[in-house]
Amino acid sequence: MKETSDGNILGNMKNLVGHLKSFFGLSRKQQGGRLPFTEAFERFRGVLDNNNRALEIITDMGEKLGGDYLFDVNYIKDAYSRLSAVVAGAISNFDTLTRGRHAQLLGVFNRINSQVTGMIYDVASVTGERVFFYEDISWDMSREVGGKNAALAELRNYLRLDVPEAFAITTRAFDEFMEHNELTAAVDNLHGGGGPHEEKLARLRDLIMEAEIPPGVGSDIEAALDKMKKRCGDPCFLAVRSSGEDEDGEFSFAGQFETVLNVPLECEAVKRAYKKVIASLFSAKAAAYQERIGYETGKMKMAVGCVVMVDAVASGVIYSSSPDGERRTLIVNATWGLGESIVEGRTDSDFYRVKKDIVPEIVNEKTGGKQFMVVSRPGGGTAKVETPVDRAGKPCLTPEQVKELAGRAISIERHFRRPQDIEWSIDSSGKIYILQARPLRIEERAAVETGPAPRVERPGRILMKDRGIIVQKGTGGGTVFIVRTPDDLEHFPKGSVLVARHDSSNFVRVMPFLSAIITDTGTPTSHMSSLCREFRVPTIVNAGDATGTLKQGQKVTVQAAEDGSTAIYEGIHRDLIEYSEKTSMKMEDVYEYRKKRFVLRYISPLNLVDPLLDNFSPERCKTVHDILRFMHEKSVAELVDSARYGTSMLKRHAAVKLDLPIPAGIIVIDIGGGLNIEPGQGKATFEQITSMPLRAIVKGMMHPGVWNSRAVSLKVNDFLSSMMRMSDITSGDSEYVGYNVAVASGEYMNLSLRFGYHFNMIDCYCSENTRNNHLYFRFVGGATDIVKRSRRIELLATILREYGFNIKSKGDLIIARLANISSDELVGLLDQTGRLIAITRQLDAVLNDDSDVELYSRNFIGGKYEF
Amino acid sequence: MNKYRIMVIDDEKIVCDMAKMSLEQEGYDVETFMNAEPALKRLAEEKFDIVVTDYKMKGIDGMEVLRTVRKLYAGTKVIMITAFANLDAAIEALRSDVHDFFPKPVKIKELKASIQRALDEGNK
Repeated sequence: MKETSDGNILGNMKNLVGHLKSFFGLSRKQQGGRLPFTEAFERFRGVLDNNNRALEIITDMGEKLGGDYLFDVNYIKDAYSRLSAVVAGAISNFDTLTRGRHAQLLGVFNRINSQVTGMIYDVASVTGERVFFYEDISWDMSREVGGKNAALAELRNYLRLDVPEAFAITTRAFDEFMEHNELTAAVDNLHGGGGPHEEKLARLRDLIMEAEIPPGVGSDIEAALDKMKKRCGDPCFLAVRSSGEDEDGEFSFAGQFETVLNVPLECEAVKRAYKKVIASLFSAKAAAYQERIGYETGKMKMAVGCVVMVDAVASGVIYSSSPDGERRTLIVNATWGLGESIVEGRTDSDFYRVKKDIVPEIVNEKTGGKQFMVVSRPGGGTAKVETPVDRAGKPCLTPEQVKELAGRAISIERHFRRPQDIEWSIDSSGKIYILQARPLRIEERAAVETGPAPRVERPGRILMKDRGIIVQKGTGGGTVFIVRTPDDLEHFPKGSVLVARHDSSNFVRVMPFLSAIITDTGTPTSHMSSLCREFRVPTIVNAGDATGTLKQGQKVTVQAAEDGSTAIYEGIHRDLIEYSEKTSMKMEDVYEYRKKRFVLRYISPLNLVDPLLDNFSPERCKTVHDILRFMHEKSVAELVDSARYGTSMLKRHAAVKLDLPIPAGIIVIDIGGGLNIEPGQGKATFEQITSMPLRAIVKGMMHPGVWNSRAVSLKVNDFLSSMMRMSDITSGDSEYVGYNVAVASGEYMNLSLRFGYHFNMIDCYCSENTRNNHLYFRFVGGATDIVKRSRRIELLATILREYGFNIKSKGDLIIARLANISSDELVGLLDQTGRLIAITRQLDAVLNDDSDVELYSRNFIGGKYEF
Repeated sequence: MNKYRIMVIDDEKIVCDMAKMSLEQEGYDVETFMNAEPALKRLAEEKFDIVVTDYKMKGIDGMEVLRTVRKLYAGTKVIMITAFANLDAAIEALRSDVHDFFPKPVKIKELKASIQRALDEGNK
């Protein structure tokens, strides 16, 4: 692939889209007329064939980018170019089939395509706008408005949460600013030439602060401020915040860039704050952070968010899943006034642990002293002041407010489908504003197989035991170095254990060189805590009096253990450290890997789950997988309609319900020789199925003991998981959407099944000519949490592999296929497949343990169907 | 016991970084190079037990790396990886006494197994 020029691939993709556009132009002329059934069926197969090929590529990409393979960017380019070609093929068939009724789908695909190609080929932003108000920002604009703006705008626009009025200054404006002032050369100079790096960074920051805002950018900012004044009246102040291109995506950059609070709504003040934020891209700590994750300083483009300040009575941070592994609870930290003191770990804030139930329940709380608070100053800027006596030491939230915040956090986590680190404020009227939401990195259990933890033979004196809160598990040893002022970091000896009174995001500068961090105060929700988790630095905060107990220069081993206990031993215990290192190394720590894999975000997740929901529309497709899912569902519905209103020859056999002893709810569209029924008969019995493959698979589904009609109880977290994956069914737009539909002829069958929360598709050609025969099986989804769903996939894979299928699986998706097999053999396999479909409908809910997978698959293969 | 030393050469950073992470996890000492020239200089200074190299790189390619290793150290095994599943390339490499040849994407488990085999053979 290295010989293929990138330009060519990109060019081909553009041609492809152009070709599709002209195609769509033609097809829309057909709107209104009905497609003859035979052509509809041909197009239907066209959609399915391309969809299946696309899903195979997606599954392959998921496998190759899953951490088990060494891959390079050429693989991604090649795989994606194949994927976009087959998706385009599917869309063109789909458009003809649906007579242009979902023409928006092409636009959606174009947007996804430009995101993906932009990432793969590192192409700049698309719209070229310099300013966007939040209401105009859509989910796919994070490259233009930065991660932070994009996430916040999404909460405002999709979840309808209260977010302050805000606008984004884009990466395009950043490019213009850098080019207009010839700063790009200064950035390049950072990596070459002589002189200390720190000095070059400082010089660059000065140049930025002295630089001129280009006229175009300046006038756009002025216009935005005028608009803002009309909306918010006077006085009004802004928080001017960083929103880097990659910030809050795969990497948090927590606390690395400047936020200028309480900036008056005046052009000069905002421009100054803007430059300050841009300059912070080149601060020593931000550069150290970027270096640490393997990011070349100066590569990131900085967008900026201008968000109206909330007149905050209380503020804080929520972790929507507790970072100590107790995922069913969330953590709320709160303080009086602005939240700045929490994220910088400088206050003894209120702490709540809340159980994530349908009605959240506070399970643990601790009220902090909060002697100081940060407030907005009337003329601009902020001040740290003593908390008034009537508030210091008192909880700043009512239990109802805690629960309300928890509810918001649960919905945000559900929306982004991963744990979130959320900043919020409550104003004097009690209204909750969300100020930030970004992915929260939480330690998963290491996948590396290791032996039992070594016992410490002579642990020496235990200096501290079970003190503080673990931010990052792990074990580190070294010499104690107490940091009292930021200047102490200049002399930090490599390999030492950093001990400090408060935590600070400045510590990132020495994170590559330190073995562990212990602080006397601090919270697990601070910026420093985010960074420690990101870099897997063993860290304990709020440990009481570490600065007093531990002595400068003393050798210690800090253990933040898996079971949540903490210990600081005297001396360095290499066996403990090595064991801990081996269990904590993960591919996710490799920056390049995470960055490259990020492209999958626009490809493989499935957001569009329920065809009966209003959001089942082209506009809500965010990934290639969503587009495929949408096309499949609508194609089946279209075919059913087409059969109902099709030619008279087909009409008598069209859309017939199967009358079976099991409630499978299957509708059959007979395209010739699939059923043997009288004209006009609306139902068919099993005996009347003449389609060889359909008959065999239905026979399997009806096999004694395999169709369990008893309800399987879901555990609480499964139930929550299913709630998060799909809301209540509220409306429908077509009589047949969501039905189980089989398209059948004498030798062919395509069966689309939807049971509860999972989708199963079986496509089979079964004739006397072995070479033409195939069996294709696809299964995705489920109601339970991903662990149990993955177990069901593992079980399906084990059984299908036993029957000789070729398997591809990833997460909760499996594709299995077989070809070139005799009809006799195929009928037997279809029977088994039918049994498997029936039995696995609810199986995930009972797969409580990995060992169940082996047991149940052995039982199934042995013909035992009791689970 | 001294750790085995492995050199990885590939002009893509992601391959170097992922290989380093996964091989260090096995307890090897790993050095990575995105360019063959400094890699060969390093090889002239010090012996590595295994060299994992990309087949096709700008400037000095994998075959050149292989020839240099052969000249310098009889015992060092070379494993070739390539973006092209090119049969001729595989034949050429295997004839030139390469220990193993993998098309990319390479299953890390298989690469580790190949390294282990090479080390076992070297110890016989």
